[in-house]
Amino acid sequence: MEVDYTMAKESFDKEIQFLRLLALTGGNYDRQQFAGRLGISVHTFDKTIRRLKEVNGDADFADLFRYNYADSAEPVLLFLYRAKSMKESESRRLPIILTALKQESMTAAALLDICDEQLMDSHAAPPDEKTIRSDLRYLEEIGVICREPGGRPYRYRLNNDLTECLTREELIELYEFVDIMANTQIPSVQGYLLRDNLKKALKAAASESSDDSWQEEWLEPFSYRYHYDARILDEAHLYTLLRLIREYRFISFQYYSPSRKRSYTAQNTNPLFTQDSEPRRQHMLPLRVVYDHQYGRWYLLGTTPGGRIVKYRMDGIVDITAEEEADTLLCEQHTAKLDEHTRYSWLVDTGRTFTVRARFFKPAPPQNDFIQERVRMQGQWGEIIEEDSRSFIYEIKVNGYTEIRPWLRSFGSSCEVLEPAALRNSLIEEWKELMSDYESI
Amino acid sequence: MNLFEKIFSYQLASRLEETATYTLTSQERAWLKMMLEQPAALHALDPQTLHKIGDCLLEEEIPQLQQALIEKAGSADGQTYSPLLRPLRLIMRRRQAMEIQRLNKHGQLIPTQYGVPWKLEFSMARREWYLLWYNLRTRAAMTTRLIHIQSVAEMGLPEDQYEPICQRMQEICSVERQEAVIQLLPMYNMELTRILHAFSCFDKRVEFVAEEQTYYIHLNFAGNESEYVLNRLRFLGKRVRVIQGDHLKRRMHETATRALARYKQNADK
Repeated sequence: MEVDYTMAKESFDKEIQFLRLLALTGGNYDRQQFAGRLGISVHTFDKTIRRLKEVNGDADFADLFRYNYADSAEPVLLFLYRAKSMKESESRRLPIILTALKQESMTAAALLDICDEQLMDSHAAPPDEKTIRSDLRYLEEIGVICREPGGRPYRYRLNNDLTECLTREELIELYEFVDIMANTQIPSVQGYLLRDNLKKALKAAASESSDDSWQEEWLEPFSYRYHYDARILDEAHLYTLLRLIREYRFISFQYYSPSRKRSYTAQNTNPLFTQDSEPRRQHMLPLRVVYDHQYGRWYLLGTTPGGRIVKYRMDGIVDITAEEEADTLLCEQHTAKLDEHTRYSWLVDTGRTFTVRARFFKPAPPQNDFIQERVRMQGQWGEIIEEDSRSFIYEIKVNGYTEIRPWLRSFGSSCEVLEPAALRNSLIEEWKELMSDYESI
Repeated sequence: MNLFEKIFSYQLASRLEETATYTLTSQERAWLKMMLEQPAALHALDPQTLHKIGDCLLEEEIPQLQQALIEKAGSADGQTYSPLLRPLRLIMRRRQAMEIQRLNKHGQLIPTQYGVPWKLEFSMARREWYLLWYNLRTRAAMTTRLIHIQSVAEMGLPEDQYEPICQRMQEICSVERQEAVIQLLPMYNMELTRILHAFSCFDKRVEFVAEEQTYYIHLNFAGNESEYVLNRLRFLGKRVRVIQGDHLKRRMHETATRALARYKQNADK
């Protein structure tokens, strides 16, 4: 079987970057700047926009990216996965085949007749049997159709057993379950695709049924607030990377570091759209993929050929190529070493381990102690080691304190860091700065 | 596994829609099989339904993700499902009222109440479910955390009352929106994507003023969301500054003053 290692092709990578920028900036864009950032001409940029508009079928493109959780739980960016273009002849032929197989099981020859008949008015040459067979092979391979028992000539049918074996009530409950899981778990792209197909199954069931209790609002059973929309874009690379990790393969890719260290103050350009001159190709052995719930971001962790631990943000990775195979034993050693080093990573920091101790203040009674609830829920492996009526002390062993710091700070005056002293002092400095900044209001 | 299958393509989907045909791929079924292994499935679906679905998934292989895929900074038990979701949805689909036993925000059990469940909402930030409902006695809109609900039971509601109640809820809940402008200090420009990520869940417009090399994030949010905006502001600390939005400014000043008082008190001891 052909293995396609460069699944997320460069053009797709560009689209992903493009969509991320749109999502992050709320849909505001300047053609010139965007094209520059993506390293494409304005002409190509316009073409991409046209295509995406067409895929999405929406009149006002920028409006799409205005955050609107109330309307639908389906993420706007899902259309990236629907953007694959196909030949016109194929896009006419496949629906004929699938629709026919929905009615009854058929052989390739029978399908050929149907295609001939329905494509008569088309200008293109009618398909031959070889084409139909290759279509059927493809559809069978991805599990959309299946072969009926019995010998040649084989008969095929649409494989929608999953939805057809359920009653309408059961289908609704499955739809609601899938809706929740796609929105709260990772990975989620297949879940959203499945959700969309179940929605179609539900609509079909409603139109066939005689009872008129159907409500349109059943299609949006839940709402989700504070979603990280861009997170589903990085799943484009996920399966390629997981497979290469399983296969113990080195990989190379272009890396656009999202946090460039250079100073922007001197140059008169919008930093969001500046681009490193040609970024260097990175060469590494991928070992782990980390998802950060705090920001909804993905990381790739691994080692250099020399065994040094390296970390990359997935959103900066472009054009992944599989390289040489690595030694299995060596891989296992590197993995064990990486796991050891990330054991105390709040996210992905592999620096020196510190013990952070912080006092959290409880809200005044009779208020429920929501502070403690939040600390227990979000505080990862840290523990509450002391508690009295007014406060409690939380302790955690953690690599470096840069990554845990925003979380501690988000508690505002309900959290006082006790140790380490350096973290405590820097937080005091920061609160002083903030206080003086807001003094003048 | 290829997420860019041509079967997912928009071109194909729109043609299939004309004949009300849909397709299901192995990878969607495999994903479902993976999700059915989670404890949530047992609450969400009947044993009989689970059995039927299971039979259709026999041939699918669960993608091997667990080993190489690590989740960080999620919530403690990773549980994002509540057994109450299913009974509540059932009442909502039937457009009925409910009898609800719940704790108040101080954690005390209060006498049974009667209401109409209107919306179930999940907060990604708190990793928690909320029920928005209409209190039949006080005619107020209520928000209750699902973990505070002890039990719900269906109660009849005259058919003609449901729609007006929903409309009323819609009115109460579409509170006035607020605007705020957040400035990103230019010395932190290199952290731009991280900062935009922190605000990515809000309705916003990003503006760049070239002469100042400065980013301004124009946020638009509902009044009841200002607590979460504040949480994000504290989360980002000195990287960002509220330029417009008096309530947020005042609250940030208050927080900084109080936090410093805490530190000072402790140092004096």
